[in-house]
Amino acid sequence: MVKTESAQVERAEPTPSIAWLVGVAAWFVPGAGHLLLRKWGRAIAMGGAVWICFFLGLRMGGHMFDLSSGQGSSSLLQVPPMIANLGTGVLYIVCWLLGIGFADDPQQAARATYEYGNTFLLIAGLLNYLTMLDAFDIAAGRKP
Amino acid sequence: MTLFAVLASVVFGAVAKDTTRDRWLYGLKVFAEFMAIGLVLGWILYFIP
Repeated sequence: MVKTESAQVERAEPTPSIAWLVGVAAWFVPGAGHLLLRKWGRAIAMGGAVWICFFLGLRMGGHMFDLSSGQGSSSLLQVPPMIANLGTGVLYIVCWLLGIGFADDPQQAARATYEYGNTFLLIAGLLNYLTMLDAFDIAAGRKP
Repeated sequence: MTLFAVLASVVFGAVAKDTTRDRWLYGLKVFAEFMAIGLVLGWILYFIP
């Protein structure tokens, strides 16, 4: 049994380096991974969903998370939502550099759509992680 | 909620299955589930002060 498993592991083909490149591109620019693979429909549907979700979240007044907003050990609580936000790749980085969506503004937090915006921004990142994994699997030949 | 359900079900549908027909069916199923669960939870929370 053990020999059979080890033989299967030995026979497994290594992941091609292009798959890693596609994965990184898919994370960095939502939809870019599928564009590189010439999966136009998927790129538009999945990448478009992430972009729309992100900009709707910003438009609703949502707030993105980074490590600077907490004090002491409470900054650790910012890590999980920050990981979710970070999933949007360049969108998060550009907003972070420009300071868009990171301000702790009570007026913004009082908006009726504030929590909806937060959720859309988090979900945009998480959906892009799924998109990235899909592009990686296609590039690695594990998926049609 | 509807927008959220549409966007999430598009990605879920595209990721999950192998054939186009299965993707559409799964996406529609996920969309319907998001909507139904959202409405049920909304009504439950409505009655909780």
